[in-house]
Amino acid sequence: MTDLAHTTEHHDEHESTGIDNRKLGMWVFLSSEFLFFGALISNYLLYGNRDFDTVTPREIYDIPFTSFSSFVLLMSSLTMVLAHDALSRDDQAQTRTWLFATGALGSVFLGGQVFEFYEFITAEGMTLTTNPASSSFFLLTGFHGVHVAMGVLMLFSLFGMSLRQGRLSSRSGLNVEYVGLYWHFVDIIWIVIFTLVYLLSAA
Amino acid sequence: MSTEHAHPTPKMYVRIAGILAVLTAVEVGLFYMEETVGSGLARTLLVALAFVKFVGVIGWYMHLRFESGLLSRFFSAGFFLAMGLYAIVLGSFALAALL
Repeated sequence: MTDLAHTTEHHDEHESTGIDNRKLGMWVFLSSEFLFFGALISNYLLYGNRDFDTVTPREIYDIPFTSFSSFVLLMSSLTMVLAHDALSRDDQAQTRTWLFATGALGSVFLGGQVFEFYEFITAEGMTLTTNPASSSFFLLTGFHGVHVAMGVLMLFSLFGMSLRQGRLSSRSGLNVEYVGLYWHFVDIIWIVIFTLVYLLSAA
Repeated sequence: MSTEHAHPTPKMYVRIAGILAVLTAVEVGLFYMEETVGSGLARTLLVALAFVKFVGVIGWYMHLRFESGLLSRFFSAGFFLAMGLYAIVLGSFALAALL
């Protein structure tokens, strides 16, 4: 994702590292997120697989449903990278389309998560405070969902900006790059959650 | 310091998405065939497949393989720091359970 940064920001060359400070900051921020999600995943690994008298998440996972959600999020990474690629070619119409598609796929994923939570709470009677396993599950997937929601908000903001301004400026191009990085990061965290929390836990 | 490299084409991105989708399907298949494949092997393969997907998205979609080494170092530092820290934490709990 260096094209835009180098073609649109002349002051890049004056950074002592040769990398735009905002871009470096974004990567450092994402790197620090490993610690945040690492804590939540470790918490789940400690408590999520234990047995309790009350219902635990691994007894009620709907793997086909979650697999579909995972597929949707994975494909949203494709549409995101296509949006960025289109903008680097200054294809404003395609950029707009792919940004909207990414936001829509993210919304589908979020809808799926809301449905899953609703089912767990109402049909299965498992809430945040049912037992440590349920707490760790809701905390981890809930915080991931909040990250996805933030991403969707940023995506639709960019989409709205492009509609209002008629085109995304070169400065917005950098924003697309940063939002893209954030979005892909949310995706890789879900790749880990899907395997460790759902597949390995329910197996 | 120039960090500009040739990026993949849209066709290449779609191909990568196809590979990621197939890997996800294999993961789900392994989940249902755990008894046939064997629990140990199935679990090892699940972790390995997740790792391949993880690295694939970072390398190709986040373009880290085309970026400056400095970004790779910053990013991997956070990853390995987190892995090390939580391995110690989980290890301590496991040890405490044994004693």
